[in-house]
Amino acid sequence: MRAPILKQGKILIATVQGSLTDADLVQLREELANDVRRYRSSGVIIDVTLLDVMDSFAARTLRGINAMVRLLGATSIIVGIQPDVAFAMVQLGLTLEGSPTALDLQDGLLLLQRIQGTAAHG
Amino acid sequence: MDQQSPAMSDSPYGDVLEIGEEELAQRKAFLQFGDADVAALTGINDVARRYAGTVIEDFYAHLLAFEDTRAFFADPQVLQHVKNMQKEYFLRLTQGNYDLAYTQNRLKVGTIHERLGLPIKSYLGMYNFYLRNVAAKLIEAYDKQPAQAWSSFLSLMKLTFLDMGLAIDTYVYARERTVREQQEAIQDLPTPVLPFREGLLIVPIIGMIDAQRARQLTQQLLSSIRANRAKVVIIDITGVQTVDTRVANHMVQTVEAARLMGATVIIAGVSPEIAQTMVTLGIDLGRIATVGDLQNGVEMAEQLSGYKVTRTENPPPHSS
Amino acid sequence: MADEIVVPVRADVDVLIARQKARYLAADLKFSSGDSTLIATAISEVARNIVIYAGHGEIVLRLVQKGRRRGLCVIARDQGPGIADISRAMEDGHSTSGGLGLGLPGSKRLMDEFEIVSKLGQGTSITMTKWAP
Repeated sequence: MRAPILKQGKILIATVQGSLTDADLVQLREELANDVRRYRSSGVIIDVTLLDVMDSFAARTLRGINAMVRLLGATSIIVGIQPDVAFAMVQLGLTLEGSPTALDLQDGLLLLQRIQGTAAHG
Repeated sequence: MDQQSPAMSDSPYGDVLEIGEEELAQRKAFLQFGDADVAALTGINDVARRYAGTVIEDFYAHLLAFEDTRAFFADPQVLQHVKNMQKEYFLRLTQGNYDLAYTQNRLKVGTIHERLGLPIKSYLGMYNFYLRNVAAKLIEAYDKQPAQAWSSFLSLMKLTFLDMGLAIDTYVYARERTVREQQEAIQDLPTPVLPFREGLLIVPIIGMIDAQRARQLTQQLLSSIRANRAKVVIIDITGVQTVDTRVANHMVQTVEAARLMGATVIIAGVSPEIAQTMVTLGIDLGRIATVGDLQNGVEMAEQLSGYKVTRTENPPPHSS
Repeated sequence: MADEIVVPVRADVDVLIARQKARYLAADLKFSSGDSTLIATAISEVARNIVIYAGHGEIVLRLVQKGRRRGLCVIARDQGPGIADISRAMEDGHSTSGGLGLGLPGSKRLMDEFEIVSKLGQGTSITMTKWAP
């Protein structure tokens, strides 16, 4: 299972398409790092609507992605965490360290707009 | 399952209290009921058989003389049936072998009495009558050996107290089960998650929250956030009496989980008592917004959602 | 339907297989989707440890019964290096390689029953059970 990354103006949208192996997660992190630099993106949205399990490695990787994106001067948002997954995460004590989150892609784009104060379309 | 606590059985009588060997042994030990008592009781079995008829007649004459107990024997066929059953019980008391089967039988009878609605006071009154009546018969039968009559009576008293203990336990068990069932029924009621305005949910919590209900509530809430696209959730705990560490931790978890889904949670209805409790317990609600009453909670929620409620200059015409 | 499924675990893709099979069994046992996710998450944690620390091992998924209750028992075992200090590993916040450590206390929270046996140089076996409603 992969996580294709689409460019939408200054925003990158990575859509997780199902269960991710640890290798998939690492690859996602590397690709996003490359793409943010290459396209000078101002925002990254990671859509985990189809992610069925968020375990400690996935949370750690996402935190890493968020930190990396911030270091590159962009905003990172996680969207689409499902109710069951959110519940399991808090039971497990996992945190995304206060990274902005939104219900889904639609809300995520609005949130990004609000945070950046700029138009979503570049 | 804890050794001390009773188990349930799948008997034709439905849910009947059961006790185990160890429990029975402990009860007998406490009553100081031993082999000597068993011997004493079997020793008066022939006396019992001789007097069984009269004791039972006296017994029912007594029951029928009082309104409370008469009601149970209105039907003559029922009366005859229970008389026969009582006679058997009476004889059983002096037949020895007071084992687990004996106690199970007592428990079943107790269950039936409870279901029939026979009050405890009547149950105890009936045992009392038995004992006095039998005491008189023993004195008569052993008039040359009063010591014998007395010690046989004491053994009988031990046994009837064992039986009474079992009878009362069946009543307590039945009452506890009713309460348990009622509580479960309440918990099974879905917690109302009320869409208040677009993107705003209110969850009123009423009564006790235990771990299981807290978990259900959280999962329902999270599903509702998705279904209603809620951005703000108000959890109203005005109706909650006390909050302990576990419940507070559940609330924290719920808030965190909602945040992962992009929603903000406001806890409203935090009474000064609960606030104090939380401080005392060292519970740090951190970044969670709490307010004293629901009204404030709604206002805060509206601010967060970007709503503003304003009063118009000219209110719309409507009939007062 | 088998009472027991054994999933050999060698690479991270096997972790996904174990999770998926557990979900199927959980559905048969009428677990809620929430509970099914808890089980899959717990499996993810312990199975990853097998891959990282032991190289290979297995996840056994077993249907169990206690009186009238049915449940799913997950056994994660390997013959890897074992855990030196189990009680430390079971402490919240313990970390081995700068991350979240072995994720054991978390997995324990997700399940109803949790047991771990580990011997240095011999391996580790974790048994966890969740009971269906």
